[in-house]
Amino acid sequence: MILNETSVAEIKEKMVRYPRRKSAILPALTVAYHQVGHLNDDIYDEIASIIDIPAVEIAEAATFYTMFPKHPVGKYLIQVCHNISCALLGADSLVHYLEEKLGIKKGETTPDNVFTLITVECLGSCASAPMMQINDQYYEFLTREKVDAILDELRKQA
Amino acid sequence: MSSADDNKVTLTIDGREVTVPRGMTVLEAAKSIGIEIPTFCWHPKLKPVGACRMCYVEIEKMPKLAVSCATEAMPGMVVHTDSDLVKQGRRAVLEFILLNHPLDCPTCDKGGECDLQDLTFAHGIDDSQFDFNKYRFIRDKKSTFDDYRLGPEIIRNQNRCILCYKCVRSNKEVFGEYDLGAFQRGNITEIDTGPGQQVDSIYSGNLVEICPVGALTNTDWRYNIRVWKTQKVNSICQYCADGCNLTLWKDRQKIYRATSRRNDAIDEGWICNRGRYGYQIANAEGRLTVPLIKRGERQENATWDEAIELIARRFKEIKDKKGGVCIGGLAYPGLDSASLYAFSKLFRTILNSNNVDFRIDYKMLPEEPGDLYTQITSRKFSIAGIENSDVVLVIGSNLINEHPITNLRVRKVVTQKGAKLYTLNPFATKSGDISTDEIIYRAGTVEALINGLCVSIVEQKLASDTVDASKLATRVEPNTVAQAAKISGVEADRIVGLAQALGEAKHITLITGELLSTSITRDAITAAIMNLALLCGMAENGQIGFLSKYANSKGAEKLGVMPLLSDSLIAEMKTLWGGYPEQKGLGADRMILSAKKEEIDALFVMGSDPMLCYPDGQFVREGIEKLDFLVVADLFETRTTQMADVVLPLSSIAEMSGDFVNLEGTVQHFDQAIKPLGQSMPGYDICNKIASALKEPLFESVARMQPDIMRLLLREENPEIQRELREVKTSVEQASGEYTVPLFVVDQAHHFAHLTERSKSLSAFCSEAHLELSPSMAEKLHAETGTLIRVESEVGKVILPVIISEHIDNDVAVVTRNFSANPVNDLQMRKQRVDYVRLTRVEEK
Amino acid sequence: MEKKVLFTYIDDPAQVKVETYVGHGGYTAWQKALKQMKPADVIDEVKKSGLRGRGGAGFPAGLKWSFVPKDSPKPRYLICNADESEPGTCKDRVLMEHDPHGVIEGMAIASYAIGSHLCFIYIRGEFGGPIRCMEQAVKEAYAKGYLGKNVFGTGYDLDMIVHTGGGAYICGEETALLNSLEGERGMSRIRPPFPAIEGLYACPTVVNNVETLASVPHIINNGAEWYTSMGTEKSAGTKIFSLSGHVNKPGNYELELGTPLSYLINDLGGGIKDGLKLKAVIPGGSSTPFLLPDQLDTKLDYESIAAAGSMLGSGGVIVLHEKTCIVWVIERLIHFYRHESCGKCTPCREGTGWLEQLISRIERGEGKPGDLEKIESICDNILGRTVCPLGDAAVMPIQSALKLFRDEWQYHIDNKRCLVKSEFAFA
Ligand SMILES: Cc1cc2nc3c(=O)[nH]c(=O)nc-3n(C[C@H](O)[C@H](O)[C@H](O)COP(=O)(O)O)c2cc1C
Ligand code: SF4
Ligand code: FES
Repeated sequence: MILNETSVAEIKEKMVRYPRRKSAILPALTVAYHQVGHLNDDIYDEIASIIDIPAVEIAEAATFYTMFPKHPVGKYLIQVCHNISCALLGADSLVHYLEEKLGIKKGETTPDNVFTLITVECLGSCASAPMMQINDQYYEFLTREKVDAILDELRKQA
Repeated sequence: MSSADDNKVTLTIDGREVTVPRGMTVLEAAKSIGIEIPTFCWHPKLKPVGACRMCYVEIEKMPKLAVSCATEAMPGMVVHTDSDLVKQGRRAVLEFILLNHPLDCPTCDKGGECDLQDLTFAHGIDDSQFDFNKYRFIRDKKSTFDDYRLGPEIIRNQNRCILCYKCVRSNKEVFGEYDLGAFQRGNITEIDTGPGQQVDSIYSGNLVEICPVGALTNTDWRYNIRVWKTQKVNSICQYCADGCNLTLWKDRQKIYRATSRRNDAIDEGWICNRGRYGYQIANAEGRLTVPLIKRGERQENATWDEAIELIARRFKEIKDKKGGVCIGGLAYPGLDSASLYAFSKLFRTILNSNNVDFRIDYKMLPEEPGDLYTQITSRKFSIAGIENSDVVLVIGSNLINEHPITNLRVRKVVTQKGAKLYTLNPFATKSGDISTDEIIYRAGTVEALINGLCVSIVEQKLASDTVDASKLATRVEPNTVAQAAKISGVEADRIVGLAQALGEAKHITLITGELLSTSITRDAITAAIMNLALLCGMAENGQIGFLSKYANSKGAEKLGVMPLLSDSLIAEMKTLWGGYPEQKGLGADRMILSAKKEEIDALFVMGSDPMLCYPDGQFVREGIEKLDFLVVADLFETRTTQMADVVLPLSSIAEMSGDFVNLEGTVQHFDQAIKPLGQSMPGYDICNKIASALKEPLFESVARMQPDIMRLLLREENPEIQRELREVKTSVEQASGEYTVPLFVVDQAHHFAHLTERSKSLSAFCSEAHLELSPSMAEKLHAETGTLIRVESEVGKVILPVIISEHIDNDVAVVTRNFSANPVNDLQMRKQRVDYVRLTRVEEK
Repeated sequence: MEKKVLFTYIDDPAQVKVETYVGHGGYTAWQKALKQMKPADVIDEVKKSGLRGRGGAGFPAGLKWSFVPKDSPKPRYLICNADESEPGTCKDRVLMEHDPHGVIEGMAIASYAIGSHLCFIYIRGEFGGPIRCMEQAVKEAYAKGYLGKNVFGTGYDLDMIVHTGGGAYICGEETALLNSLEGERGMSRIRPPFPAIEGLYACPTVVNNVETLASVPHIINNGAEWYTSMGTEKSAGTKIFSLSGHVNKPGNYELELGTPLSYLINDLGGGIKDGLKLKAVIPGGSSTPFLLPDQLDTKLDYESIAAAGSMLGSGGVIVLHEKTCIVWVIERLIHFYRHESCGKCTPCREGTGWLEQLISRIERGEGKPGDLEKIESICDNILGRTVCPLGDAAVMPIQSALKLFRDEWQYHIDNKRCLVKSEFAFA
């Protein structure tokens, strides 16, 4: 079992609220993602047996949604919005800056498995651009100093 | 406006006025007057999704092009299906689809029958404005194709896929299978199996047929032939009594594939893999092509003349010495009607014997005419009629395996029309997925359970007033719900709940299957079921289906290929033949028993393999060994042909024309696809040759005999249902001693009787017998999939690999019987109502 | 002009607490609706208020509610659409994070109006903050009896589920949202049937945007007349505009509908960044056509913007200054729409992919003669031909950009480079 008791309990608790069990797929995927950091076939199988929906339907739904990584990622998943409003305020140069600082290219994970850097579409933070999301925390109005501080802090915690 | 008109709408399509039922789509309305609108994602039996956008039409007063497949026809609509705008819209869709579609028509197996290819030509598209490299899905990084296996027979090429989703939709919506899905999204969406799965349900071949392009192809057809080189032949499936309509695709002497020939009354355009791949037995290796005669210990090639001469001589000797009663005949109920009829006629008019039977896998057959089971099974049943029911009750049938296509109709009424399904079985089956309550009774106690239901219906005052329910308590035993619950092991409240559902139902379809028909207490079960039917008013509002199993079981019944016939049928025979043997006939079981006692000296077996199929292998062997003379006609060497004095090569169904009567009683004709292989002959010709050699021909030509056959086949007995409740007192048989696990010998999902193991594609799904166990039973035995288990009964022993069933959840042993290497019938006892076995792990050395 | 209705207490961090919310007059509208009004009265009041959907299409909210069949035996559902994924739009998030009870109260009243006893708020999964806020607020509302069984002793039961998405813009489209909520892949559905007749679980369903619903308590409290006294005749009330891009003071601003665009950009937004000149404005979220500098006095209301050739949409105002390459902008956007196409219908699935390839080659300086015409024809074959409006959303800015800045596109193809290079450094 990959999912721990807390996750299983949480999924079960959510499941019963819906008129139909199948509605619990996204909540279950979310719970699993929060615990594991990514999703995979084994997790789909486990969710399938918890909510009693065929595994294929779990996998079909899961792969539709891009928020859940389908492969292991670093402890901190840095997601830089590169959509229009952020791009107008330098998202691309922010990505380059992060690439340099972390010594990896976008799409990669640092060798110590602490950071993974990716770009994503609009995160609904357009008026606070440029911005990035690390795990489920937003960091907005980014400047070099802010980025440095954030990364230092996270490195310390890692 | 009258209310009849309310249900109709009148609209104009391409200047023609058309009136159609309300609710119909514009696409169907156009179809109804012969206007074909091109489609990719639409399918007559699936809910429209409006995805491909090929079916655009222009509707006046609507601002945009409309998708006709998902637009309801409305009164006064003015539709144009061929305007410039429509054409432009469709061309654009085609251009979009073709962007990343490979140009590999010359090597694509769909070439020649591809909707995309056809429509591209029709729209005159020969040039794309797309000047990028095509996007490629490549599974196997070594090849430039995407030839990726989804299951035993399906190959996927994702690059050709146009994402109509018909495969995934039909798989879930119609077949209830969850092994295929669409993954990712947008233009990188991919059709694939579920995690760790493969596509191997018995419906999987339909996915290939429904695919409008060459994205899904099957291994039997791939790279073997081009469609335009083949000819189509109308055929009927021979692998169950559903009677699905098939098209065989052949070139010269070879059949290349089978596809559905949609018949809405029966199959609605779906066939199971047995029907789809079973044709392969015709061209399979190992077919018998010449007669064989046993000389000493060996069977040697012989000419037909030698063989017939020998048969005639030996039959005559035996008949002259001891009378025709010493000769018996067993015919396979999957034979064509003409062969079955000729077989019966040979015995009754030439050999003067009533010892004929087609019931090759029934335990202990009744010895008196007019047994209740036979009487009741002759009632009419309608597959399409299942759709009228609000409750479907399945008793004693693993429906999906026994009648895959009838099962789809049950699924349809349940999942699409909201009917309730109840299944009563000794072990859980796949139908449990959609049943309101899946009731598992202790093996051998179904009569008690049904009695309990009857009692509860009466107690809840839900009994139909067309029957005197007051007598029930004195006629049945057990006669309380509590007792029934105790005996059957089903909780009383579930019995009461089901009784209530049945009592309140407006229209019930009751289906029973093989687990009942082959039971020695089939008459008692039938009586119990008839009581239930009466109490629920099913005769008036519902239908009762004691479904027959083989492609022509129903025909065999109607043609009288049984020892004991009703008086009216005997009278019919007498008028046809001018005579009928006096002597009472013996059924299959009795024949073998008499052979054992040396009262029967000769047996003529046509098309069946009792050594493999008849319950109690030991018993059959002993009987057959005692025979003086055994003649067996079959397509392949079988356990039974090995023991024969004369073996005759039988033609397959594809090598003749003829008819089958399906489980509904519908007579369906099939055409000849190829010439008889080698010197093989259809059954009727064999019978005729023997008859001629003995006395006189049975017929001048099959065509001449056809009216007699049709007269019998179209005869309706449909006996009135007796209005009195019947006596059903049950005794309970207990497992004894060391043998405690109830055994069920059934067909494997992808196989049917003894023939399909010769089909390559079907063998790719499964090629050996298994022991199916519940997960908990497997755990008790420390067994995993593939673990070898010794299965022993009082009379026999086999060693089988385990399959852990997704469905079964009680302690039973389900064993599959279609493989000549594993005569699992050795485990069964012909006189025992429930067979019990002992299971032990075979320890590896 | 700036007018704070939804934003009255937006700067008060305590507003997220139910006590504070109630102290500010919260949940009185819910009580009033439940105790003093019939569902039909609520619908009437909202109809009279002229409140229009703030999710993009501007459909009158009261009218939408009235489509729910009165006599259907099926349960009905209300769904608050908090998927907020249209680039340039970030207003719903502010409401959820700073005034979650306002959203809950609006949802409650709307549920009552349509006879729903179970409602959902579908929040995009990335919104960790808003999700936590809403979950906490819902918990508090239950605890105080504003949700749950027998609300205010009226016998009315109402349950509310916070449901979160998984990263798919398309799930903001209402039918895709329904599929997503049902546990399906978030693909759009064909209409009819419309959600009001057959929506979630094939039951009558109303989907409204967060801001639409958050406006409802104010209307119930103050009356339709008060609401129509703000805004214009056909665009009543206030609306939040998310101002982003090249302005000095980006942010969310609540304005009376009918306020000139220049007021938002110059007076509130502090004018164009770095003292540069304005090039264009996308006024209603990334899927709306551009407005040009000479259209700055266009009034921000549904009709005026439409008359100016664009759409009010979701109110995401994206400002581009003169050093922005239009092809570069469009490349960003088409990449987004291609990425977000659900893959159901052919024109959107294939068309967006093709457009992305063409546009990015032009941006890379590899454009070929005829590419612009090709792009135009592809756009024509997508517009109005798809299952849901995502196809339209993808092509409208392209069509507009081609029309308004054709020379710049042509320059790209002829000279294999940008006329003005978009090089934006972050601070
Ligand atoms: C592609 C697409 C994305 C959408 N995204 C959102 C969204 O994120 N939030 C939203 O409220 N409406 C969105 N909509 C509009 C919804 O379909 C729907 O019209 C709206 O939620 C109705 O609410 P309203 O009437 O209150 O505006 C989107 C529409 C489309 C076509
Ligand atoms: S594989 Fe065939 S049937 Fe399935 S989606 Fe693709 S084109 Fe349609
Ligand atoms: S057939 Fe109508 S959209 Fe595909």
